[in-house]
Amino acid sequence: MLLDLDFDVSTAALRPAPLSLETQRGVEQFLYREARLLDERRLAEWLTLWTPDGMYWIPRAHGQASPYDHISIAWEDAMLREVRVTRLANPRNWSQLPPTRTARLLGNLMVDGETAAGELVVRATFQLTEWRSSDVHQQLAGACTYKLKQVADGGWRLHMKRVDLVNCDAMLPNLEVFV
Amino acid sequence: MSTLPADLAALVRADSVHKRVYTDPDLFALEMKYIYGRAWIYVGHESQVPTTGDYHTTLLGDQEVILVRAADGQVHVLYNRCPHKGAKVVPEGDGSAGKFFRCPYHAWTFRLDGTHLAAPMKMAFEGTCFDPKHPDFSMRRVARVESYRGFVFASQATDGPDLQSFLGGVKSSIDNLCDRSPQGEVEVAGGVFRVLQRSNWKVFYENLHDTMHARVTHESSFTAAREKAAQLGEMPFELLIQDGNGEPYEFWEKLELRAYDNGHGYMAGIFNPGAADRDPVSRAHLAALSAVHGDERAREIMGMNRHNTVIYGSGSPHTVFQQFRVIRPLAVDRTLVEIQVFRLKGAPDAVFKRAMLYANIVNSPSSNVMPDDIEVYARCQQGNLANGGDWVSMHRYAGTDRPEPGGMVSVNGTSELPMRNQFAAWKQFMVSGAEQEVA
Repeated sequence: MLLDLDFDVSTAALRPAPLSLETQRGVEQFLYREARLLDERRLAEWLTLWTPDGMYWIPRAHGQASPYDHISIAWEDAMLREVRVTRLANPRNWSQLPPTRTARLLGNLMVDGETAAGELVVRATFQLTEWRSSDVHQQLAGACTYKLKQVADGGWRLHMKRVDLVNCDAMLPNLEVFV
Repeated sequence: MSTLPADLAALVRADSVHKRVYTDPDLFALEMKYIYGRAWIYVGHESQVPTTGDYHTTLLGDQEVILVRAADGQVHVLYNRCPHKGAKVVPEGDGSAGKFFRCPYHAWTFRLDGTHLAAPMKMAFEGTCFDPKHPDFSMRRVARVESYRGFVFASQATDGPDLQSFLGGVKSSIDNLCDRSPQGEVEVAGGVFRVLQRSNWKVFYENLHDTMHARVTHESSFTAAREKAAQLGEMPFELLIQDGNGEPYEFWEKLELRAYDNGHGYMAGIFNPGAADRDPVSRAHLAALSAVHGDERAREIMGMNRHNTVIYGSGSPHTVFQQFRVIRPLAVDRTLVEIQVFRLKGAPDAVFKRAMLYANIVNSPSSNVMPDDIEVYARCQQGNLANGGDWVSMHRYAGTDRPEPGGMVSVNGTSELPMRNQFAAWKQFMVSGAEQEVA
């Protein structure tokens, strides 16, 4: 079960990760591309940005330390991400008629350091507009914390994407697409 | 709009209901008085206010109230209003008032049962009618409060049936939820979800026992889950709970729907984890219950395999996955659903984790399942504003319901008995409320 995983969500106790400007630029471009694939709904491509055991997490509480002892707005492995993508593409998905359109801005992108396991921890803030109709739209904002793993060709993969919404503990309407 | 009892009665027929009950703001205002102003409404669970001074705010209909734990261990339900200028004494949410309430405006203070404690510079009241002992200068308590196995309900009416009589046939669902704990006690734990529905509150109550919608409305989520399970060659729990909605009509027909007085009811379970030996979590749960009650009683508790229970006006407890979906009408076309998850005291941790996992997947705002529902509720809300007809049908298996003590049982699991029963209660509340007002 997804609440019995041995997946470390912690981003404390990092060691410095001095990166060359070129590497930093590569990290930024990777995360901008991730955001763009979501906005352009290129979800099959987006799924390939992940490590096989990577986790997508939207905590329900501010400063939530763990997904294992508290409910989460999302706590999804590859299986659940793929189910969401399949569902979004289903023409009989009544709540995606019309589909959710999104545009997001990432900013304040900073490399926080490196975990003991060698993952790069990066943090960014975001503004995200979701629109389906004049009755179904919302403005989301918050911070994304990423754990990135470098792969053989020098590129990056998402190992964790944690999305802390400013209103994570509020009453919320549907969040059908990935934040 | 007329509020004569006969006009209200005419909105509900034996097999259909006038669409105005979903769309008319004036009727919504009357519901707040005649249903939410009279019935027993779930306020919260005692575990949400464990220590002296702890409070939890919520809505009784359109009334903001505070559930609070007093020094003597009693819980009280107070209107969230300072008697001085009317300011809300505590902000929305959960917190601690400390030893007493203190209004942030002029520092009037109140004991945790709401009674007046002090107002600053009280010499200024000399020679006036100000009387700290008079109820006008205290925070007002809701007329009646009763707790059943930790579930606190309140009624804004001074008269009427007691809580257990009101609950009738669905009291057993609260019992079963608690009995699943080896200690017989549950607590709200692991956080709550709060989800907005763009629709009238009654639509959600109807849907809770609407077996005919599952494979239609949820096609996108159960087919996605099935596709993934086919790829994997197995059906993990995370997919199983999305797959259930795809059962064919014959499956739903075999379920039994029970309908009780006051709009309550329940349906027999569809996921059947009560088959106590089927999976490791259930086996560990059974072992913990058996250690206390013996095997026979433990199997009896876990074998009571109910899916959604409806406590009309309060929401829907789910015994097997240990949650209470609390339903709060916000406006004629806006409804808040608060999903509370319960830990069964003394049960293995895995049982609680499974309940949280179920909530994450089924009840979260980002659930793959729930948006299907919320979309069709909103379509009903909007469609019922069109001049395409005035009546909403509840004809399925009408006239075939079998009476039983305190209620009725369906002859077929796809019956619209639950909707007919809810609207029979609605009519009774509304008409008797209007009659009392006329008198």
